[in-house]
Amino acid sequence: MIIDADGVIRYAASVTPAGERDMAALVAEAEAIAAAYEGELAADPAAPALAADARLFVKSRCGFSTAVLAAVDNLHLGDRLPIANVTEDPAAREELRRLTGKEQAPCLIAGGEALLESKAIIDRLVGCVAPC
Amino acid sequence: MISPGTPAPNFTLGDHFGRRIELASFRGRKHVMLVFYPLDFTPT
Repeated sequence: MIIDADGVIRYAASVTPAGERDMAALVAEAEAIAAAYEGELAADPAAPALAADARLFVKSRCGFSTAVLAAVDNLHLGDRLPIANVTEDPAAREELRRLTGKEQAPCLIAGGEALLESKAIIDRLVGCVAPC
Repeated sequence: MISPGTPAPNFTLGDHFGRRIELASFRGRKHVMLVFYPLDFTPT
């Protein structure tokens, strides 16, 4: 379903579990609706920046690290957030120990603060993207 | 019944990061594409 910025439904279609959605056709519908819209859309608010010192430490074979990495990917932050794997990189492991006094990962260093819980890390990352 | 040309009823849903997202918050700002994926990584 596509709802325009005036809150009006412009397109609605169902796909049964056995069917497949024609994504090219859906994109074409979306582009046509966007092109036909005569109103003026407000600009997105600026997203707060990641701290200049932001750095993420993760471990291999770690579910919490995997969850944080998925959030980084979903939020398209991969090109803005240096990531080090302390399982594979002894220097990164030593740096993590120097910064936090331990080797616990995932760990997000941002603004001089170390976040060591995956949910807290993900919440911080979510806050670094523009609101929907 | 949902049909093109009619106003969409307002709703609020949780996103995968736990934020509550209200349709009305997009009014005047963005178009919205709402896609349901029944049987695709969702409970049946």
